Amino acid sequence: MSVALGTAYSRRRSTFAALRLSVLLFMADPQWLIPSMIAPVIFGLVSFELFRGYGTYYLTYAILGAGMMSMWGQTLYGSGWATGQDREFGTLEPTIQAPTPYLYVVLGRVLWNVVSGLIGGAIVYLVVVAVAGGPPALPDPAAFVVLFLFVMLTLAAVGVVFAAFYVYTRYAGFIQNIGEFAFYIGTGCMFPVVFLPFWTNPISLIFPPTWALDALRFEAIPGYQGFSWGFWPDIAGAVATTTAYLALAGSFFHRVERHVLEEGTLSDY
Amino acid sequence: MVLTSSDGPAIETHGIRRVFESRKGFLFRERTRTEALRGVDLTVERGAIFGLLGPNGAGKTTLTKILSTLLLPTEGTALVLGHDVRKETAWLRPRMGLVLGGERGLYNRISGRDNLRYFADLFGIPLAERDKRIREVLERVDLAHAADRRVEEFSRGMKQRLHLARGILHRPEILFLDEPTMGLDPKSARETRKLIRSLVADGVTIFLTTHYMFEAEELCPRLAILSEGRVVARDTVDALRTLVGGDRTIEIEDYGFDDYEIEGLRRLPGVSYVVSEEFGPRLRLTLRVRTLETTAEHVRQALPAHPDLALRDRRTSLEDVYLQLVTEEAS
Repeated sequence: MSVALGTAYSRRRSTFAALRLSVLLFMADPQWLIPSMIAPVIFGLVSFELFRGYGTYYLTYAILGAGMMSMWGQTLYGSGWATGQDREFGTLEPTIQAPTPYLYVVLGRVLWNVVSGLIGGAIVYLVVVAVAGGPPALPDPAAFVVLFLFVMLTLAAVGVVFAAFYVYTRYAGFIQNIGEFAFYIGTGCMFPVVFLPFWTNPISLIFPPTWALDALRFEAIPGYQGFSWGFWPDIAGAVATTTAYLALAGSFFHRVERHVLEEGTLSDY
Repeated sequence: MVLTSSDGPAIETHGIRRVFESRKGFLFRERTRTEALRGVDLTVERGAIFGLLGPNGAGKTTLTKILSTLLLPTEGTALVLGHDVRKETAWLRPRMGLVLGGERGLYNRISGRDNLRYFADLFGIPLAERDKRIREVLERVDLAHAADRRVEEFSRGMKQRLHLARGILHRPEILFLDEPTMGLDPKSARETRKLIRSLVADGVTIFLTTHYMFEAEELCPRLAILSEGRVVARDTVDALRTLVGGDRTIEIEDYGFDDYEIEGLRRLPGVSYVVSEEFGPRLRLTLRVRTLETTAEHVRQALPAHPDLALRDRRTSLEDVYLQLVTEEAS
């Protein structure tokens, strides 16, 4: 009865099945309202107060800061957490035992987290615009939206790799909690990376969102002082690192699955 | 000859060992090694139910997980449907079903139907057939009436049946059932056993682990007993009765028997095994009897100092066989 598994069709279908599952789980659990709907309101208000009065483009800084904070949590943290949830529910074993490689399930879960992150970003935008009494001055709103989506893609790529850690060990959530703030600051989510000590920059550049966020600020804030190499090298760096993350994810998941089958830790929670 | 999925035994294992390592401590890491399986050799024929019995910690779930590709053996080879569980998972997974059961393993906040729909997609059941197939399996496990209720509202028995529905959704050739009736009420357990029998009638090979002797006796034409990671016996129930020394068991109870009396019982014709155990304030002796030569009357005559002896002469049960083999292995 099974179709030829391992085909692009079956993998795509598994990804959409995982996306649908994520939506169902989201709708079924009211606790998700807090990170996806309420937290962005708070982030927007705090960020507005934090950046108020800092130059002409303070509204853009406020929106990017709070928007990234909200989306970072939803997209990146949520992607790993979804796998952690599978471990907790005991659904990781039957999912791994299904013929579809688990990577394609993770992609579906991440896809929902991207959508959820975008909703958070939109809420932040509306909150900041409401308290400021008007929208920010954007040189090119269409380019801003495109780059915003691009940043989400880079976050999702990191989210896929983070999810593998949740398959690898039940302690992934603990490790992610420790690294959360460092990652958030280190990739320039709240403020530009160039404000950080120089020695931290090479570490930041390992992560695709660092490049993409810098490019987004170059585009959205005239006169922005980011990395010296400018907008296009930022885009090239983001594309290269994102591609590398996605390319490595397949082999990474395969190795992680092999490791947990050897260690027998798939059912630990 | 090319081996296809319809040739050869359903399961064949040679020298399967599985060692678990755990680590404790932070600065001074202490490693503990547990050998869960110590060289398991098994052959399971196709199209029947094969039972695996064993006490807690014997290695039943470990073996089930190895055979269902969820765990790698430390040593040895395991072929399922003629394919290596270590190297050919992509070929095997669509053809095998696994039911680990219990309260976990399901998405409790969504409906039973949505749980099945998700796994139907992961197993690649064609879209045109998917919803029809889900209806079929829900009816088969008697959950059609509750299909759209959240799983968190299900009773333990209903969850177990949903696990089963997921296990058979993609029409597997082989189904692994790990203690499928554990924790079920008698009615649900009976229905589950009925369902298992009907799956065999459909040609599915079933590998079943259980603690319940009557269940194994009722369902499994052939079985193996696993104790401390080793297969201590494997055969039909009748052959196992012979293995442990007879298909008759005589149990006697009284307030104490001395060594001389017990030795006297051992010398009775056809008696192959005598074991004593405390039973409240009394002592119970269990005699395994190979022939009809020794009757209850002979036993009474051998124990003249016990005129009020409580005696029971019955057929050796699988539980007797199991207890004898597991006790012998442990000692």
